[in-house]
Amino acid sequence: MTQIELRGINKHFGDFHVINDVNLTVEDTEFVVFLGQSGCGKTTTLRAIAGLETIDSGEILIGGKPVHMTRPEARDVAFVFQNFALYPHLTVYENMAFPLRAVRTPKAEVDRTVRRVADVLQIGSLLNRRPSALSGGDLQRVAIGRALVRNPKAMLMDEPIGSLDAKLREEMRVELKRLHVQQGSTTIYVTHDQIEAMALADRIVVMHAGVLQQVGTPEEVYANPVNLFVAQFVGSPVMNVADVALSEAGAGAVLTVAGAAEGFAVPSALLGQMQAKASKPLTLGIRPEAIALSLQAEPGAVAAKAHLVEPLGSHDIVDFHIGGATMRARTRAGLVGKPGTPIWARLDPARAHLFDSESGLSHGIKL
Amino acid sequence: MAHIELSGVSKTFGETQALTDLSLDIADGQFFVLLGETGAGKTTTLRLIAGLENPDQGRVLIDGQDVTRWGAAERDVALVLQQYSLYPRYTVRQNLEFPLKSPIRKTSAEEIAARIARVAKTLRIEHLLDRKTDKLSGGEMQRVSIGRAIVRTPKVFLMDEPLSALDAKLRESLRAELKDLQMNLGETFLFVTHDQVEAMSMGDRIGVLNNGVLAQVGTPHEIYTNPINTFVARAVGSPAMNLLAGTAQNGRAVMGGIDLALEGPAAERPLIFGIRPEDLVVEAGAEVDAQVVDVENHGVEKIVTLQSAGQALRATVPVTVKVAKGEAVRFGWNPGKVLMFDPASGRSLRHGG
Repeated sequence: MTQIELRGINKHFGDFHVINDVNLTVEDTEFVVFLGQSGCGKTTTLRAIAGLETIDSGEILIGGKPVHMTRPEARDVAFVFQNFALYPHLTVYENMAFPLRAVRTPKAEVDRTVRRVADVLQIGSLLNRRPSALSGGDLQRVAIGRALVRNPKAMLMDEPIGSLDAKLREEMRVELKRLHVQQGSTTIYVTHDQIEAMALADRIVVMHAGVLQQVGTPEEVYANPVNLFVAQFVGSPVMNVADVALSEAGAGAVLTVAGAAEGFAVPSALLGQMQAKASKPLTLGIRPEAIALSLQAEPGAVAAKAHLVEPLGSHDIVDFHIGGATMRARTRAGLVGKPGTPIWARLDPARAHLFDSESGLSHGIKL
Repeated sequence: MAHIELSGVSKTFGETQALTDLSLDIADGQFFVLLGETGAGKTTTLRLIAGLENPDQGRVLIDGQDVTRWGAAERDVALVLQQYSLYPRYTVRQNLEFPLKSPIRKTSAEEIAARIARVAKTLRIEHLLDRKTDKLSGGEMQRVSIGRAIVRTPKVFLMDEPLSALDAKLRESLRAELKDLQMNLGETFLFVTHDQVEAMSMGDRIGVLNNGVLAQVGTPHEIYTNPINTFVARAVGSPAMNLLAGTAQNGRAVMGGIDLALEGPAAERPLIFGIRPEDLVVEAGAEVDAQVVDVENHGVEKIVTLQSAGQALRATVPVTVKVAKGEAVRFGWNPGKVLMFDPASGRSLRHGG
């Protein structure tokens, strides 16, 4: 049973506040993904849990016990890096047996463990090969295998598949998840790739500038981002954002993008909901799939011209300009033939987000 | 402005056959993407066009002129690499000036200033011109590298995975920027990547390389909907196309316990049936039963892994569809979207397999 708890941890590199008062509890057997850009503090946090970095203040508990006096090797956590280091002169078997032999494990037990883990990772047929004869994916499997043989309390992974080809990354993603389900070890996984985070995580922790922005299931983080940073970090293509003004129009209301002649129709209920808030500048956030494009004028839609069409096979992404904003919509493949085509864009108000432009915080309005 | 042609090009490095009889035609002003895995020969192809490698056999033509034996400097191509190579102690402006100050080009000072201003505007790096390059972020550095290629107004732009070292978010925005740039410049771009999303979203045409052999060339739509063989079928699209071995019998596909209708007549023979995840239908009352073994929620859609008659299939469903791991479901497919491949050659029947 391994719960990992971070209590108010802080870390500075000189003047740079790399971890800023981070509080988080990772439950036993949970798969948590730290998601953020390079330099956001995610790797430093992971290294602090492993004991590879000291912290300035706060407390880290593994399995309920504070670990600040515990050396890394005694914390019983396994660490997998992006740049896996295997011994080139040893076979796969010997590489995987190494951590066990180092602690004088009986020979029969070493053999049993290595074969069991190799089985789980589907590298049983590679045990007699040397690393130089392996593909990138197999190398990474061996590196993970070497971490697993010790049967650690927790797995810490730092972009373990970041350096692999896109295709292989996708396969390894599925495999890592299967492995987690089988092993059930508490896992913290660091990545800048939101697709990996969405696919793997029980809970996603979005980090920015050393601060936890939001912690939640992939569904929560995607559907209810707490601020503009999270909104634009999760989801691909990026959520569209634009400065907007809200005004009455007949029986309803419109959201007009700065610099645009026409506005998007929204339910008049929004007027009432926004009245309660101070009249600060508003930013609209709308995901590409929540914009419907039409080739004919429609009431409540805004006219534009397709600027770019990105065909992705199962669907297209269409770029267009409204006022001063570039927006992207997800459409069925082939709907908009080519750049220059006149289009009309409509919002799904139920999936529109409104943020305070100054603070970037979501108003939390649901239509 | 340039038309690039490779004709019967082969290249070996020691024992390794990097490229085998490669012929390729890239029209003037086209955005051409070479897609392949590590070691497929993409970078070798690029380097052959740049003049950094010589082919063992075959010819390289630029605008109809045989340049096979020309040096790199004579070919007037610009190369942008994954690892940007900027001069760290110089400002962005100095880095951009550098290619123009070469003694053989003799560009006037006014001309240099005008070109840099234009390039900086195009790439939105005007505010960075007087900054040292070691003070830039990864995305800014990559834009400056591209800028350094553009100022020279070369005939051809060759780009070797210029986005793959960048963060996912940045990669996405630079993708649209590069496509935009190419449309504005109207120049010939050859872009090399292992990322099918980059290939699909940017390419006017895509060439899929498999182990040194050009498997197929086509528009993103052709490659996606009508792949020539099972390799190409799995090279584009995420999640990959489902491929199931079976037999066509009485207008149905019989795939080891999964039995589904086909559209139109099919000769009775062993086949590999291909169906994209979005063309599988998960709904009550569908023909075949399955167990849900995994659900990935991607926000816009869910990727569901199904287990049926001992086989794994992946389906994409709208995020609003309620489906949970361990659940029993029923599924079918859209018969109009099924592709058939010859089991021995892997070739699509539509392409004579």
